[in-house]
Amino acid sequence: MTIAENLFENLRLELRRGCLTLAVLAQLRQERYGYTLRKALADDGLVIDESTLYPLLRRLETQGLLASEWREEEKRNKRFYRLTADGEQMFTKLLGEWNAINASVLKTLDASPNENSKANL
Amino acid sequence: MELLDRYLQAVRKHLPWQRQDDIIAELRANLEAQLEEKESELGRPLTSAEMEDWLKQLGLPMQMAAHYRPQQFLIGPTLFPIYRNVLKIALTWATVIYCITRAIVLVTGTPHMVDFVQILAQAPGFLFGVVAWVTLVFAVLEYLIAHQMVQIPALCPPSGAWSPAGLPPLDPTANGVVKPKSFATAIAESIFGFFWLIWLLLVPAHPYLMLGPGTAYVSSLPYKLAPIWVPVYWCLVACGVLQLAWNLIDLARGSYQRPHPAMGVAYKSLAFIPMTVLLTARDHALVLLKNPAADQARLGASLDGINKTAGMSVACVFVVLAVVLGVEIVQWILNSRRRRAAASH
Repeated sequence: MTIAENLFENLRLELRRGCLTLAVLAQLRQERYGYTLRKALADDGLVIDESTLYPLLRRLETQGLLASEWREEEKRNKRFYRLTADGEQMFTKLLGEWNAINASVLKTLDASPNENSKANL
Repeated sequence: MELLDRYLQAVRKHLPWQRQDDIIAELRANLEAQLEEKESELGRPLTSAEMEDWLKQLGLPMQMAAHYRPQQFLIGPTLFPIYRNVLKIALTWATVIYCITRAIVLVTGTPHMVDFVQILAQAPGFLFGVVAWVTLVFAVLEYLIAHQMVQIPALCPPSGAWSPAGLPPLDPTANGVVKPKSFATAIAESIFGFFWLIWLLLVPAHPYLMLGPGTAYVSSLPYKLAPIWVPVYWCLVACGVLQLAWNLIDLARGSYQRPHPAMGVAYKSLAFIPMTVLLTARDHALVLLKNPAADQARLGASLDGINKTAGMSVACVFVVLAVVLGVEIVQWILNSRRRRAAASH
């Protein structure tokens, strides 16, 4: 990997990090267990490594944004996650923030004299 | 499946022990569901090679487990700037204290070359110990703060708790920007340097130029300076000549406004020669008795005391000068780098 590729990868991961939490919270408005959540996110175009997603679920649960319970499904015990009331509030706030950031970036790009940036969108 | 079991077993070893079973059970359920789906898509079980590839994609067991740990660093970004500052201060003081204590040990004993080498060889170990202790203390603090066992607002004040008015005033020498020396100052320095040199050359023949009315009193004392002071004196004269020559060359070339910083550093380095001569004096004898045969029994003890005190003073000055010079050299290197970086942008 060249230095430029490495830099891009680091910046891409940084950009994704915050979005992942929002996407996970959005998906867990409906109850899911780890693997189906991963599939749902991948189907929506957001592929997340197992080593990132499963620990993230634990962290969000520790922070009180998710609740979980073990339940049997298809003859296998699985841990199902869903948003708590606090999680829903947090999701609403984060979504507002996300929309505001998105709008600002788009507005900046619209005002930018560099047409290439818009063309790349 | 055996490979998956082995993978999970390896992950378990690196997980926090209180949550090992729970995490492994969940990971197993998720990974088995994923594996089943892969196999149903293929219509057959995964081969060993395919299984290995899949597990490789999951990452090293240690890395997988590391994501479940809440704290992935010894000292976090909030404490780190404070840690770095404390480390700088601790290392500076440790170096000064080490130099002073070792210099005292050298002066009070009979120094040999081996002692100097031993002191230099022990210095990295001592400084490494200081770094280790400071790091350990901050790592413990970070752990306590992260686990909300303690709250130390002084270490991590909220952003509104400081005032910009409390910031230190502007340093005129910051970034290596020094006010240019005026022509009058450069001329005055040269004249002063010339007269200082003349004065220095006259002092041995006319000690009253240095001691004034105290000359008679000093002459009446039963002590005299040891011969070791002769080379020291000529070193001082040589330094004076060199300084004067530099000043005159700067004046002639018109570069007096901003003399090269290396010159200052080189000039200060010359001061180590006379001090090293004094420190290595035989039996630390900087002062002698005028009539040893008559006065040794009566004044021998006080002479030893005078020589010990004088030796210790020279050692302290040596250490202070070494620290000052070290700081100046570091600043000079940093400023040069900064200027080079600014020029390249």
